[in-house]
Amino acid sequence: MAQVIFLRYMPGDTLLHKMDGRLKLFCLVVLSVAVGLATGWIHFLVLLGATVTALVWAKLPLGALLRDWRFFAVIGVVILVANAVFVPGEPLLPYFPLVEVSQEGLGVGLRFAGRLLLIVMVCSAVMGTTPISVLRDALEWCLRPVPFVPAARVAMMMNLTIVFVCVIMDNYAEMVYAQKSRCVESCRNPIKRMKFLALPLLTRTLQRTEEIVYAMESRCYSETRTQPIFTAHKADWGVAGACLGVLIFVSSG
Amino acid sequence: MPVLEARNLTHVFADGTTALRDVSLKIGEGEFVILTGANGSGKTVFVRHLNGLLLPTQGVVTLDDVPITHNLVEVRRSIGLVFQDADSQIIGQTVAEDVAFGPENLRWPREAVQRVVKEALAVVGMEELSDRNPHTLSGGQKRRLTVAGVLAMKPGILIFDEPFTGLDYRGVVQILERLVRLHELGHTVVLVTHELEKALAHADRLVVFDRGRLAEDGEPTAVIEGVEKYGVRRPHKTGEELSALTWLR
Repeated sequence: MAQVIFLRYMPGDTLLHKMDGRLKLFCLVVLSVAVGLATGWIHFLVLLGATVTALVWAKLPLGALLRDWRFFAVIGVVILVANAVFVPGEPLLPYFPLVEVSQEGLGVGLRFAGRLLLIVMVCSAVMGTTPISVLRDALEWCLRPVPFVPAARVAMMMNLTIVFVCVIMDNYAEMVYAQKSRCVESCRNPIKRMKFLALPLLTRTLQRTEEIVYAMESRCYSETRTQPIFTAHKADWGVAGACLGVLIFVSSG
Repeated sequence: MPVLEARNLTHVFADGTTALRDVSLKIGEGEFVILTGANGSGKTVFVRHLNGLLLPTQGVVTLDDVPITHNLVEVRRSIGLVFQDADSQIIGQTVAEDVAFGPENLRWPREAVQRVVKEALAVVGMEELSDRNPHTLSGGQKRRLTVAGVLAMKPGILIFDEPFTGLDYRGVVQILERLVRLHELGHTVVLVTHELEKALAHADRLVVFDRGRLAEDGEPTAVIEGVEKYGVRRPHKTGEELSALTWLR
């Protein structure tokens, strides 16, 4: 399938592709915190600029990514509408007949939706330029000094989660096609349609889980694996510094 | 002398289904054995026992006369299992990353991992694709990738579970070429397939499973005549024309 590219590594030769995994993980955390702290439109604009620059710099296929982000855009709209309607405040349109949309709710909704989309974009930039094994090794490296945390297990769980998100998205796309070919669209009841999709998807995912567990065991899965070699170049530190700069700017209000 | 032996293997699943009934089979060093049988005859369950992924309800599997449960990691390293569904076996997000998964689990030094990954990809003719996302590969390439993933662990015995399923002519030929080449290089090959016309010419032995039992075991010329009664298609060319039962020219 491979039509869904969100969270998928796309090989390349750019600075972001070659960047040290640990620093890339640092950038991901720093930018995520910055997104969480962003409140004003200028913050969002700076974060959007930084993320788009990273995506363009990494030469990732923006058109295909935009297609994948549609799902998150839908969630963003739901968040926006829910906040606009349910958060109390000054009415936006005083004489709106059906529901009352508050100015505060709209503002909160826009911020939450914007944060969601920015996080998705940041994740796309990092995941698109980093093989999962590099992220796994970087996470393990970061967690190793933390007492009582099974670093290798946590890192492998993160690895498998990402692998599974891709597998589930592929399965989902395949099932949608299969059901469309059998005229599922003629069923008007969305809950029924969701049932047609959700149950087989769950079953298939569980089957795939079992297969992957067998495949990992047959290839001697172990938590003590070959140690990775990390090398951070000056440019990597530069990128990490820029991300930190964005965080400082956003957190300074 | 058998390297791999299953003795009186019985496997009953938790729901009470008996998948294997008292199966005994010896596989000698350097042999090319084809396991065949209808769907649900127990072939896949059997080969999963050989790799220690499933443990028998009764019976034992030994490698060089040592029960495989004594050192499962070494057993899994030396008995490579290529699964039926290539997608389920792929763990990495690049071809090289996926091939490195096994050697990294074995804690081989980084340089050794890089070397075996390169070697394994060369054997399956995929050196150029080491940076590719495995999910964008064709069916045949994915299958070759799973073979590389197993070869990178330097196994002596290779088990292929239905490696031709879903492949076009070219894909089958590519896999079969590698399989035959690996046998020539000295690997013991166990091939699970019901498409006998594609590879039987290369086999030393043909083993037929039927409803969890080992029904027939012997030289291909002797066994092939009666395979239809076990739900396996008998190729038209038999007897002295056995050498024609291959998709390799």
